[in-house]
Amino acid sequence: MAVQSLARVAVGLAVSGSVIADVGHALAETGELTLVADGEALATEGFLPPALTKDGWELRFESILVTLANVTAHQTEPPYDAESGKPIEAVTSVMLVEGPITLDLAATGGGVEVTTVEAPAGFYNALGWDLVPGEDGASMTLIGTATRDGETVDFRLVTSDAVRHLCGEYVGDERKGILEAGGTASLDATFHLDHLFGRADQPADGAMNTGALGFDPFAAGGEHGFALDGLHVGHVGEGHCHVEAP
Amino acid sequence: MSKRPDRLPILLLALLASVPETALGHAAFVEADAVRAVRVEGRYATGEPMAGAQVTVFAPADPAEPWRQGQTDADGVFLFVPDGEPGRWAVRLRQAGHGGMAHLDVPADTAAPLVLATGRAAAPSPVQKTVMAACVIWGCIGTALYFRRTRAG
Repeated sequence: MAVQSLARVAVGLAVSGSVIADVGHALAETGELTLVADGEALATEGFLPPALTKDGWELRFESILVTLANVTAHQTEPPYDAESGKPIEAVTSVMLVEGPITLDLAATGGGVEVTTVEAPAGFYNALGWDLVPGEDGASMTLIGTATRDGETVDFRLVTSDAVRHLCGEYVGDERKGILEAGGTASLDATFHLDHLFGRADQPADGAMNTGALGFDPFAAGGEHGFALDGLHVGHVGEGHCHVEAP
Repeated sequence: MSKRPDRLPILLLALLASVPETALGHAAFVEADAVRAVRVEGRYATGEPMAGAQVTVFAPADPAEPWRQGQTDADGVFLFVPDGEPGRWAVRLRQAGHGGMAHLDVPADTAAPLVLATGRAAAPSPVQKTVMAACVIWGCIGTALYFRRTRAG
């Protein structure tokens, strides 16, 4: 996956790369660990046919602003199981972004490279990150245009919900987070927008679609608030995360 | 010459070795062995099996490169036999933008059981909200079906 350059919007940048805990690793054996925030194609290209929202809207985004904090990469043994809902117990932890930092997921395809830090070599098989309100009070803001049956509305959807994500290993085309001494590795904080709006090209009775809001609640256009409770938007690639209040 | 029963297999093998290969061209030999295998089962939060999901197995020696790839069956199940390499094995299931991992430890002692490092053993939790439940059983999938030409009669 191509990694694009830094976010168009960056508020309160605070990147440390500090090692929080390290047990049994020589700090001299380090590599470069990169954090990518990714809304995938639904963020950059929108909900286009056949991947309309579950209620048939075509969406195009001008911007999708998310504010992250406390983004921490972990090496855990045994591997962290997000479904356990337990805290991440790490052998080594590296703070990637203390934050808060606000990013625009719609700005560039292939993900937003947030930061690259020097980190002890090893397998970063867990990632923790918070979605938190930014300076404007919003943790996530989606701005764009929706179209259905010849009707087009402009929208601005805002939530101030704060959500902590406790995630295991990245799941995707490749295995990520394996950092060799002198090498590079990356980790993804991934946002699945279909968990917000659903997908017309997926089974209507599937868990994702039955839980998604769709766009009908916002069909009047203009600004609306929404809640993230129970939506599980944050992932690591295709891997789900445990979510809780920070 | 006396025909001691314990020499019969050796005699039969000798006879087989002397038969021209063409005469055995239609013969089918099935060999099976009892081995320890890993059974991975993927399910969605709804309980629906991850049928036809993409499976990738990673061996300990090269955890970044797939060791084997395959597909779950209609029940969301995939079986594989680790090659004996001890260490942490990982299995990844993916389907329609959702996926999950399970990890298991293969001990150097071949008589010791495999250890599930992550994933779920047997029945999935009712509160399971994600993609996959994996269970690993320590047992055998093979059936001993050696066709041995022993003790004819």
